[in-house]
Amino acid sequence: MIEVKNVEKKYGKKRVLKGLSFTAEKGEITCLIGINGVGKTTIMKAIMALTPINSGEILIDGEKIRKESFEKITFIPDTITMLPQMKICEAFAFMADFYKNWDSKRADELLQFFKLDSTERIANLSKGNMAKVNMILGLALNVDYLLMDEPFSGIDIFSREQIAEVFTSHLIEDRGVIITTHEISDIEHLIDRAVLIDNGEVLKEFSVEEVREKEGKSVVDVMREVYRG
Amino acid sequence: MTVKFNNRDPVYVQVIQHFKEQIAKGYFEPGQEIPSRRELANQLKINPNTAQRAYKEMGEQGLIFTEGNMPSCITKDEAVLKSVREELIIEAVDLFLGSIKSIDVPLSEVLEIVKKKHDAESGEAEGSK
Repeated sequence: MIEVKNVEKKYGKKRVLKGLSFTAEKGEITCLIGINGVGKTTIMKAIMALTPINSGEILIDGEKIRKESFEKITFIPDTITMLPQMKICEAFAFMADFYKNWDSKRADELLQFFKLDSTERIANLSKGNMAKVNMILGLALNVDYLLMDEPFSGIDIFSREQIAEVFTSHLIEDRGVIITTHEISDIEHLIDRAVLIDNGEVLKEFSVEEVREKEGKSVVDVMREVYRG
Repeated sequence: MTVKFNNRDPVYVQVIQHFKEQIAKGYFEPGQEIPSRRELANQLKINPNTAQRAYKEMGEQGLIFTEGNMPSCITKDEAVLKSVREELIIEAVDLFLGSIKSIDVPLSEVLEIVKKKHDAESGEAEGSK
């Protein structure tokens, strides 16, 4: 379980996260929802210790993040971090050098699934294909927790469908996934929990099937109530 | 197998409904093996947890059964199979009655239109063969 407890983060005088708390279970897909600029990416960076927090605590399976944690949790940012002149296969070799948990068999499987050619240079890929390679770099790590920042933003519908398909497969099963989006409709059926965020605070945290069952509401219905009600 | 899900009913309930329809239509036969939880999630593009929930519920309702480590199968219980069909028919009729009630037409007139429409549609289906 990932526990985010009362986290505060300031950029200069601006409070970006205002005592934000939520939890994400292993084996579930938790979706952080909110418009641009509410702090979604900052939360992910804070979980990964990529940015310091001013107060509060973040625990992964009850422990604070340390060097060894990066074999257990990974972050797929919204843009690829590999050097553009690298070929896909070189990016994979790079990952294998740095992570014990890199599963090259799975990486090749994913390449086939996405119909990509490993000799292509990253710089020459379309935006959709670059997003897919970026996904593979995270998915081929045998980690317990995956954080994905806006995996669907700015790519075509077929690529979105392909990426969404990953969520229904063994590649995600049994892992804990936190995904951010401002465009919920693509994945409404795929997520387990939703965390609605605005202005650095959690407005509501709920199980999507439970809300459908008990209140007959879709995720978008709840969002409308919370953000506009 | 593709299913169009709505966003307001629990997905697992919609999956069960889909299975019931397939059973009533005879697409699933008694005792027939069904996809594994993982296969189902993949086919229907749903979360594996949701597929698991649907199967658990169907097991409890006696729609499917699992012996030991074998794949799950559609029930062979005639009574259950019959009740699935009846349940679906009654549900559809209730829905129809609900919407026709608000228009306030006599039953005889409605039934006549239903029959006419039905005949015309099955005639069309015949003609297109």
